[in-house]
Amino acid sequence: MKPFGRFSQSRAVAALWQYGAALVVVGVCTLIAIPLRPHLAAANLVMLYLIGVVGVAAKFQRQVALFTSIVSIAAFDFFYVPHYFSFAVADSEYLITLAAMLAVALLISGMTSRIRVQEAAAAEREARVEAESMRTSLLSAVSHDLRTPLSSITGAAGTLRSHWEKLDVTMRNELLGSITDESDRLNRLLSNLLEVTRLESGVQLRKDWFPLEEIVGAALYHMKRHIAGRKIIARIPSDLPMVAIDDVLMEQVFVNLIENAVKYTPETSQVEIFARRNTGAIEVEVLDRGPGFAAGHEHRVFDKFFRGRSNEVRGAGLGLAICRAIIDAHGGSIYAENRKDGGAIIRFQIPFDDSVSKHNGGIGGNGE
Amino acid sequence: MLTAEDYRLHEAISGEEGIAQASSRNPDLILLDLGLPDRDGIDVIREIRQWSHIPILVISARGQEQDKIKALDAGADDYVSKPFAPGEVSARIRASLRRAAVLDKNEAGETVEFGNTSVNLAARRVLVGGSEVHLTPNEYKLLQVLLRHAGRVVTQRQLLKQVWGPEHVNEPQYLRVFMGQLRRKLEADPAHPTHLITEPGIGYRLLLETEHN
Repeated sequence: MKPFGRFSQSRAVAALWQYGAALVVVGVCTLIAIPLRPHLAAANLVMLYLIGVVGVAAKFQRQVALFTSIVSIAAFDFFYVPHYFSFAVADSEYLITLAAMLAVALLISGMTSRIRVQEAAAAEREARVEAESMRTSLLSAVSHDLRTPLSSITGAAGTLRSHWEKLDVTMRNELLGSITDESDRLNRLLSNLLEVTRLESGVQLRKDWFPLEEIVGAALYHMKRHIAGRKIIARIPSDLPMVAIDDVLMEQVFVNLIENAVKYTPETSQVEIFARRNTGAIEVEVLDRGPGFAAGHEHRVFDKFFRGRSNEVRGAGLGLAICRAIIDAHGGSIYAENRKDGGAIIRFQIPFDDSVSKHNGGIGGNGE
Repeated sequence: MLTAEDYRLHEAISGEEGIAQASSRNPDLILLDLGLPDRDGIDVIREIRQWSHIPILVISARGQEQDKIKALDAGADDYVSKPFAPGEVSARIRASLRRAAVLDKNEAGETVEFGNTSVNLAARRVLVGGSEVHLTPNEYKLLQVLLRHAGRVVTQRQLLKQVWGPEHVNEPQYLRVFMGQLRRKLEADPAHPTHLITEPGIGYRLLLETEHN
């Protein structure tokens, strides 16, 4: 059925199957034709076979169509051309019928195979265009994100250099500030790009047992400048068992999720972090009270360079892609959804084996 | 950048030259990039540590936690991860230089304070918000080790060795459980600590003051 499939065993099987189907078609034509023989001229009975041949030619490869027409001709000759039930051809005008049938089979199968070739070429072209446009959009996203800060830096440095005397101290400081900010941005973008590439090319996890509370605490501490003045509530049950995770990478997940929550919500909006134990998994949620995800974006936010509200907030769209790569590496899953009463939720689960209880007394335990 | 902050800077382009300058110039602090052209940065730390207590601040790439642990275990004081934000290096330098004063205080057995907590090392008394808090012997030992290295990262290995003994260095779960307990007793919000800080992949740090950098 797939004439352009790859060369393989399945192809041979498919070809056999096609020949079989062709035989069935000819058989059906013959069965239909037999009761009609007394009522129809032989030339009209040929039309029945012709329909079969056209059908086969349209569906299958050329060889199968040719095979069908030859078998059809043989069947027709055998059953309907006097002398009946023999292959001897009495009337030479039937030879013309036979030749015409062969020609039609060739023509139709030629046409359909050409159409198929064109279809395949068109599909391939389409796929290539799609891949190309994907690449271009990735490239343009990256180069835009690289260029914007670069041009701000060049601009500010150039202005400082050529108008140093004319600029007052406030202006100078402003320009210098923008140079440091933009370099900082570039720096972050590049390290995120490297990080996502490293993670996607397969990373070796250094797993050990950790209380999630500790990982969240480390993330919050390391983001203290980012989240200054924000209300961030972390509710992690004290009896939550330890989880087997790579602490460095998992801290990165929390940093990225909290950073996003802070970035996309107004300053007064609070961010919450919840963790709970589910069957076979530890589930974590990071919730905010911002605008949430635009409809249909819930799945795409984890794609590289995808940016939900690109006009409002700057960023390269790598934070959540990094989170997904890390959670995937842990054998977990991560989702985005909107809260019913407004805001965004990112929820992830890390598999947790209840039977491994050695270190799972919870960190509230008092063992000395 | 550092020159502008009134530090006098001497550069060395290799490990050998660095060691030579460290002894000839007797600097206040050494900034060491672990990616050296001529030799292993960890060896350089060990060599300098044989004759000097000059604070060594290591610069290493993000994700190279093992290198940082080795450097800290070899005697480095602290590390900064590349790429670092502007200001991060000078903040770390300031913190490293400040420690000397704290160390003196510790030795003298005075009271050390951080946040709501005050620890009297001589009397082995810990007060949080004015009222006494009971710490188990291991919790107290842990706090003591962290205080002795206040501001610095102490690797898991170092902590396990000094609190539980060398036979327990491969059982970091102990440490995590006790750190959790210590946070519950001393931190206002154990999930959002401001003094008993975890450095994932490396170890722990006790901050006496909340840094503003």
